[in-house]
Amino acid sequence: MFFALTDEQQAFAETVRDFVADRFDLDAVRAVVEDPDGDGHPLTLWKGLADQGALAVLVPEEHDGLGLGLLDAQVIARELGRAVAPGPWTTSVLAAEALRLAGSPAQQAAWLPGLAAGETVGTVALRGEAGSWDGRGITVDASGERLSGTASPVDYPAVAGLFVVAATDAEGAPGLYLVEAGAQGLAIRDQRTYDGTARVGAVELADTPAELLTGGTLSGGDAVAALMARGAVLTAADLVGGAREALTRTIDYDRDRKQFGVPVGSFQAIKHTMADLHVGVTMAEHAVLFAAHALDTDDPGADIAVAVAKAKAAEAAWNATGAMIQFFGGIGFTWEHEAHFFYKRARRRAPLFGSADEHRERLAVLTMD
Amino acid sequence: MDLSYTADEEQFRTELRDWLAANIPVEWAEAGFWRSLDDAESFRLRREWEASKTAAGFSGIQWPTEYGGRGGTPGMKAIYDEEMVRAHAPQTVNTLGLTFLAPTVMAIGTPEQKAEIIGPMLRNEVIWCQGFSEPGAGSDLAAVATRGVRDGDDYVVNGQKIWTTNAMHGDKIFTIVRTEQGSERHKGLSMMLIDMNQPGVEARPLKQMSGASEFGEVFFTDARVPVKDCLGEIGQGWRTAMLLLSFERGASGVGQYTEFRRQYDEIVEQMRRFGRSDDPVARQKLAHCLVELECLRYHAMHILTQVEQGRDLGSESSMTKLQWSETFQDLWEAFDDVLGPEASLERPRPDVDLAPFQAQAMWSRSVTIWGGSSQVQRNIVAERVLGLPR
Repeated sequence: MFFALTDEQQAFAETVRDFVADRFDLDAVRAVVEDPDGDGHPLTLWKGLADQGALAVLVPEEHDGLGLGLLDAQVIARELGRAVAPGPWTTSVLAAEALRLAGSPAQQAAWLPGLAAGETVGTVALRGEAGSWDGRGITVDASGERLSGTASPVDYPAVAGLFVVAATDAEGAPGLYLVEAGAQGLAIRDQRTYDGTARVGAVELADTPAELLTGGTLSGGDAVAALMARGAVLTAADLVGGAREALTRTIDYDRDRKQFGVPVGSFQAIKHTMADLHVGVTMAEHAVLFAAHALDTDDPGADIAVAVAKAKAAEAAWNATGAMIQFFGGIGFTWEHEAHFFYKRARRRAPLFGSADEHRERLAVLTMD
Repeated sequence: MDLSYTADEEQFRTELRDWLAANIPVEWAEAGFWRSLDDAESFRLRREWEASKTAAGFSGIQWPTEYGGRGGTPGMKAIYDEEMVRAHAPQTVNTLGLTFLAPTVMAIGTPEQKAEIIGPMLRNEVIWCQGFSEPGAGSDLAAVATRGVRDGDDYVVNGQKIWTTNAMHGDKIFTIVRTEQGSERHKGLSMMLIDMNQPGVEARPLKQMSGASEFGEVFFTDARVPVKDCLGEIGQGWRTAMLLLSFERGASGVGQYTEFRRQYDEIVEQMRRFGRSDDPVARQKLAHCLVELECLRYHAMHILTQVEQGRDLGSESSMTKLQWSETFQDLWEAFDDVLGPEASLERPRPDVDLAPFQAQAMWSRSVTIWGGSSQVQRNIVAERVLGLPR
């Protein structure tokens, strides 16, 4: 029994953590947050991540990747969440996963090396307004290899060179399609979000030429579902990283902050909340590890594991980042303080790839029906 | 990550599973079976069955062979816990002795104590109780008032213990006694091994809110304890008690998960039976419990890993206690949310007996109190894990 990260995986985490702390601290994050008209995609960070292998992590070695698993990828996602780092890492890694899972050898050879090196930014467009995150929420139609419809919200569409779009064909069968930036009929509409550590838009397609991902291990609805599951786990990892950092910062502050002549952290009202948050975040960390491993190993319980991880991580992140504002007190509610970076990132990401409610309903389907 | 057990451990699982399959009567798995017996009969049956399990070599899984144990691994203990639940094996009758006293005796007992205590305990010839809590010493264990006064080769003990599991069945009780008159708090305490079958010891049952009597009270009136029946040094009882409690920090979560997950499935079965499985709110509440239950399972694997790596779990056991006890209680509150008014009826239909469910639901109120209340556990996590000031 070894339920833990290996020394190598921990070293990988530390490398990414040190790099981000060194090269992209909270002042750098703030610069991105306070420039909402900017592309939110700092190239120093992106190139550094590429140098670390953080973009190549899931790409097979034959396409210049590291050929590692989701367990390794979640290590990076956690560190980026911890650092509230801006940029299209999650969505670009998912675009590469779509190619790895569903693409033909030729499609993989055409795109994976560029995605692995960070030369191309990828993004995924898997659902539309008011749609669920299980394939039924697809709002783009495919007519042969031409797509029409609007997918939203999509992370970092303005900087993406490659879009992986989920669309339903004339027979109602879902599938994944590649659309290149600049394609005819493709328009990006900036949607703005309060989460200044991301840029989000709607992807509008009007008879846009596309290429069906086909000839890979998975196709159709299975490919869409597999991508959703990976999106859920990487988003959960990001949420858990942010939750842990928010909690650590809050505890550090409440250990020193004095009111009534004593540190506020000596009050049981605060202690008990912190203890519950610590247990909750720790359980969410376990759940993300297990879900990543379950997907890596095709565990028959992977469906349950993914739903558990996303539901638990969303809840833990919302709780821990909300508590950060509460337990820093008034200062935590100011623009100058960093608490809102964590809170807004958690609040925006919590529903992506399925909210806690949606994943609990998924568990109900799996165990009650 | 490698979530498998070793080949030896899986071999052990096979042997144990075969033995359990051949030695547990089918009717024992029926929901109402144990409730249909009176307390004495239930205890006798469990006591004898467990002794036969010991004779077959399936007790003391992690104990050294020199003490009659199996000399197994932490993984085998986890497998044992899991398989016992899967097979509907009856619960042990000597839990406090096996969990706490035996490893403490192995660590600091005299050669005579090791010889006299461990074997008979393993064979259920002697049932052990734990005498820690008192009416005035609950969460604040160091407020112990039971006193022992030296008289020749004996101590004479007077006082009262409470919340004593198996008080009515116990033969002996390991007891914290204040042996230094005028001492306070953690000082001047000793761990006494007291024979309950003597005129100076009286056990009385405590009827719980559930109607059952798992706990009792034990009264000492000039009870006599030979000096040689002190475990650890005289006056060092607090240290002995802390050592003893540290043995709770095992990998018991695997078995707990297996048990609670089965209860979840049983609640789902009732949910379907009463036409409630389409209710979106009920589905959310129960699914929330499943999230927490699965987290308990992952946490158990994490703890088992820590144990196998030889790491000291320290105060992490408080996190384990919070996770399992709060989740268990939530699960049994969800039972009522899911079933509605039918949840409170023993016989909502002629062919449906919900009494075993209600017994669990009522029992669930106790688990966040005993073994360190949730409030005490949160203090421990906040102070010793997170470093918040006292």
